Amino acid sequence: MAIKLERCGPNRWRIPREGKMRTEGLVFASESMVDLLREENALQQVANVATLPGIVGPSIAMPDIHWGYGFPIGGVAAFDPDEGVVSPGGVGYDINCGVRLLRSAMHAAQLRPLLPQLADVLFRNVPSGVGSSRRDLRLSAGDYRQLLTQGAGWAIRQGFGTAGDLEHIEARGAIAGADPDRISERAQERGRAQLGTLGSGNHFLEVQEVETIEDEAAARVLGLFPGQVTVTVHTGSRGFGYQVCDDHLRVMRQASRKYGIELPDPQLCCAPLASPEGKEYLAAMACAANFAFANRQLIAHWVRESFEQVTGLGPADLRLNLVYDVCHNIAKFEDHVVAGRQRRLCVHRKGATRAFPPGHPETPAPYREIGQPVLIPGDMGRYSYVLVGTAGGFAETFGSTCHGAGRVLSRHAAKKAARGQDILADLAARGILVRAASRATVAEEISAAYKDVMEVVGVVQAAGIGKIVARLRPMAVIKG
Amino acid sequence: MGRHRLLEHTADMGIEIEGDDLADFFLQAAQGLMAVVAGREKPEIRQMRRIEIEGEDLGELLVNWLNEVLFLLEIKGFFPAVFHIEEVGARRLKARLEGEPFDPQRHRLEREVKAVTYHQLRVEEQNGRWRARVFVDL
Repeated sequence: MAIKLERCGPNRWRIPREGKMRTEGLVFASESMVDLLREENALQQVANVATLPGIVGPSIAMPDIHWGYGFPIGGVAAFDPDEGVVSPGGVGYDINCGVRLLRSAMHAAQLRPLLPQLADVLFRNVPSGVGSSRRDLRLSAGDYRQLLTQGAGWAIRQGFGTAGDLEHIEARGAIAGADPDRISERAQERGRAQLGTLGSGNHFLEVQEVETIEDEAAARVLGLFPGQVTVTVHTGSRGFGYQVCDDHLRVMRQASRKYGIELPDPQLCCAPLASPEGKEYLAAMACAANFAFANRQLIAHWVRESFEQVTGLGPADLRLNLVYDVCHNIAKFEDHVVAGRQRRLCVHRKGATRAFPPGHPETPAPYREIGQPVLIPGDMGRYSYVLVGTAGGFAETFGSTCHGAGRVLSRHAAKKAARGQDILADLAARGILVRAASRATVAEEISAAYKDVMEVVGVVQAAGIGKIVARLRPMAVIKG
Repeated sequence: MGRHRLLEHTADMGIEIEGDDLADFFLQAAQGLMAVVAGREKPEIRQMRRIEIEGEDLGELLVNWLNEVLFLLEIKGFFPAVFHIEEVGARRLKARLEGEPFDPQRHRLEREVKAVTYHQLRVEEQNGRWRARVFVDL
């Protein structure tokens, strides 16, 4: 079935309500992106989400939308707590996949001579490949329970970071309602083996340089300046989250039948938010989200240690402080105003980043004037972006924006495009060092495999659902 | 003789599986998964593991079987080289795996699979041959 798409504003397209849809679809995209989108099934997925019970407002798609299992990646959907549903497919396998940005007091020129050594040390200190882990990280059963309920706070209390970090993490690094008793043994086991690891694919750790500043006032508040060294960590809840998702997809397949929810695609399986199955998923999802917050906290700690080891500078000189840590795969209860009425809603963001506006109580106090920082990773050969949330986005997208670039080439096609090129040497010639655990990762993650993230954030800014602050250029990339 | 083939997809990958009988089908599925995860890397045969899997139907049995192979590799550190399907029915499978301990210093894998999904999953029998497509989340 061809999906109807009508322009409904600048960089906005409507999928009109048809058939079993309970609401319309709202897609943020430029003219050229829409032509590509028409060839994909992702728009059908936006329409599929619109059929779910209790959806409030439109089924929303960000400019980096692409096909996902069930919900599209780049999708946002809000549900009423009484009439609505929660769906593991609306969060994704990698629960609380997210991005963390650290700034430093160093200039890129200062670090450049030490970069090869730093890349090696980071690659050694932060486990990335399949089967690798930090042998010195051992968890008792009691520790594990605390990690799952306290997230980043647990890691900080164990000595991985400082108390000041918490204020700079979405939800202060822990989602409420986590119940470790809802976690399968297999999820526990996978988590235990992979805590403090980066993972492979599009996950990465990057040492970067602030390349351009577009909003000087906001950059000053975020502590960013041109030429500054920053570090970005992009990872999530590892095997723990994948297993929680898998465990609950099974439960939800049965729950959908039990509650008579008609599904256009079995991967959309869900349960009412008010049902035992829905509540159990949210309690398990919160554990996985907290696992991911702790995971990024541990990795950031080893980043700080690696910098100290290589530069010989102490924390007071390096000032590797947390700018922000934000998730882009999550379902959360939040207060939003819909048709003039304040409502508590469960907002699903799958490949979409929370982007709260200036003045919002959940925007951290130091950033209250400028809005919540939004971190948008690009590909390893180009750049990543720092944005802030806007009031317009809060009203129109439940305070959400894009999350990245999105693939345009399959892995096979990327490998073919990379054939005959020495990708590592080409990147090194451009001042980008890469350390990767797998050969395939390097070829599959070439820039040409991704959309240009500049186009994505350009649409976001033009549509008013995010404001660009700075662009970061990779110097050293660590990949699984 | 059964076969498996990797399917292209922008974000993820699929495996097309064809088997002469159910045992061959599950063997091809595991070999296809290893092609995704390990590429051409071939482990030696130094150890043996036995596994037993259950599922509500053939589709779930297939997903559980592949997830078990992944779990053995990633979490238990066992890198399988050869799969012997010893017993298989609609809801149960017994297999013997031969391989060696996974050694990150020596073994280079291609990529990590997050999960084996139920997307468009259908196991079909036609003229005595078993077929399915299964997609993995990368």
